[in-house]
Amino acid sequence: MTAAPGAEPSPDTLTALFDILKTFNKTGAVLTPGTRFSEDLNFDSLVVMEFVAVVEDRFDISVPLNILPDIATVNHLALAVDRIVAENS
Amino acid sequence: MAGLFDRFAPLMAQRDMMLGDGGINPFQVKMDQVLSQTEAMIGGRHTILVGTNNYLGLTFAPEALQAAHDALEACGTGTTGSRVANGTYYGHKELEATLCDFFGKEHAMVFSTGFLANLGVLSTLMGPDDYILMDADCHASIYDGVRGSSAEIIRFKHNDAADLDKRLARLAKKPGNKLIVIEGIYSMLGDKAPLAEIVAVKKKYENVYLLSDEAHSVGVLGKYGRGLPEEVGCEDDVDFIVGTFSKSVGTVGGFLVGNHPDFETLRLVTRAYIFTASLPPSVVASATVNLGLVKNGGALRKRLMRNAKHLYDGLTALGLKVASENSPVVAVIAPDPVVALAFWRGLIEAGVYVNLALPPATPYGYSLLRASLCAAHTEEQLDNVIAIFAEVAAKVGLIEPVKKIARRSAAG
Repeated sequence: MTAAPGAEPSPDTLTALFDILKTFNKTGAVLTPGTRFSEDLNFDSLVVMEFVAVVEDRFDISVPLNILPDIATVNHLALAVDRIVAENS
Repeated sequence: MAGLFDRFAPLMAQRDMMLGDGGINPFQVKMDQVLSQTEAMIGGRHTILVGTNNYLGLTFAPEALQAAHDALEACGTGTTGSRVANGTYYGHKELEATLCDFFGKEHAMVFSTGFLANLGVLSTLMGPDDYILMDADCHASIYDGVRGSSAEIIRFKHNDAADLDKRLARLAKKPGNKLIVIEGIYSMLGDKAPLAEIVAVKKKYENVYLLSDEAHSVGVLGKYGRGLPEEVGCEDDVDFIVGTFSKSVGTVGGFLVGNHPDFETLRLVTRAYIFTASLPPSVVASATVNLGLVKNGGALRKRLMRNAKHLYDGLTALGLKVASENSPVVAVIAPDPVVALAFWRGLIEAGVYVNLALPPATPYGYSLLRASLCAAHTEEQLDNVIAIFAEVAAKVGLIEPVKKIARRSAAG
């Protein structure tokens, strides 16, 4: 589930996530791979669910609820998305 | 070092801001005296209860009261034990047999609450290589249940069979079992699952099971009160039904029914069944009797739905936004939590109790004044409720003042 240390997500995935995040960024935080959903973007459980639903639609994947506690940053999410997309293909 | 409750500080600050003004706290309502299924004394006021989930009004059914009295005298106030130790009395087995008969299923298991039934079943049923696909609006007990499961948990969009289909298609090549989890009627907005469509999707794939939580629909839907599967005519396609005795059945407790040949295995592996005390005999006796009244409760169901229509029509005529039509749950959508709280306080001060439901406990971040109907409500009570809603809604600025709705004399 957890990617190897130092693993890099695909740049396209990161770009797509930044694009989606624009509409969810209520704090005006600068979006980087290290941006944290909870601390930097003030996501609560409801926003997380809405945001994940949009990500699922964009990539045509299901993101299991089980992995959400391990996803703190945009980078973590991008790695998870890449892994799920690879598994599906 | 962080304090024990520090992480709740933002939530508590928010609550203090809303509730810290000395007004009545909607989450700490105390019933000083219960007058009937539909009335109580709250804060010295005679109050009409329109938020109890007591859909058929069976909490004072004389037959159930008598059975509870008899069981109390015969067996005492509690079993002091688990179902798998000393906590299974003849009454518990009779209740399970009654459930089998009621639903026409081979197997039934009684839990101490509906919450525990979901917690136990959903954490146990599916294993490490399996998948649970749950509706996004499922109840907290379902969320907590699946959290304890070793299966992969996937949510699909609320009441969206096409979204479920898409997600099942992605899993089609995976060998594990899949369990779809839905509710017959969703508690907050009172909307029904599109069961026929979900069953059609289920049938497209292999190794897919369907579990429906019929907490709010048993007693309410179907000619014999068996819930949404009976109403839709697809009872054989729903593999497991979870339910509660704490709504239409008028007492407390939870259950699971199903036809799977290995169903009884669950009694040995479901922790929320094994490691808690069983229901007291008086509760078991009243549930058993009330299930019979639910089954033959066609007239009560008719009254319930007539009452629901009356309240729905009255509130929508005022210009209020109500979530679902033809539902025993009539949830008025307020624009935000502050207006909802003012609305709720206006209602309680005028002698009407409904549930206040705020995000994150609600779908779409709605702030709700959630009414639930009872077959025992009289038209006069409901007319009074509508008149009071009109006054308070105008006072909080949700609608224009209504010229004159005659409020009938007494509250009951």
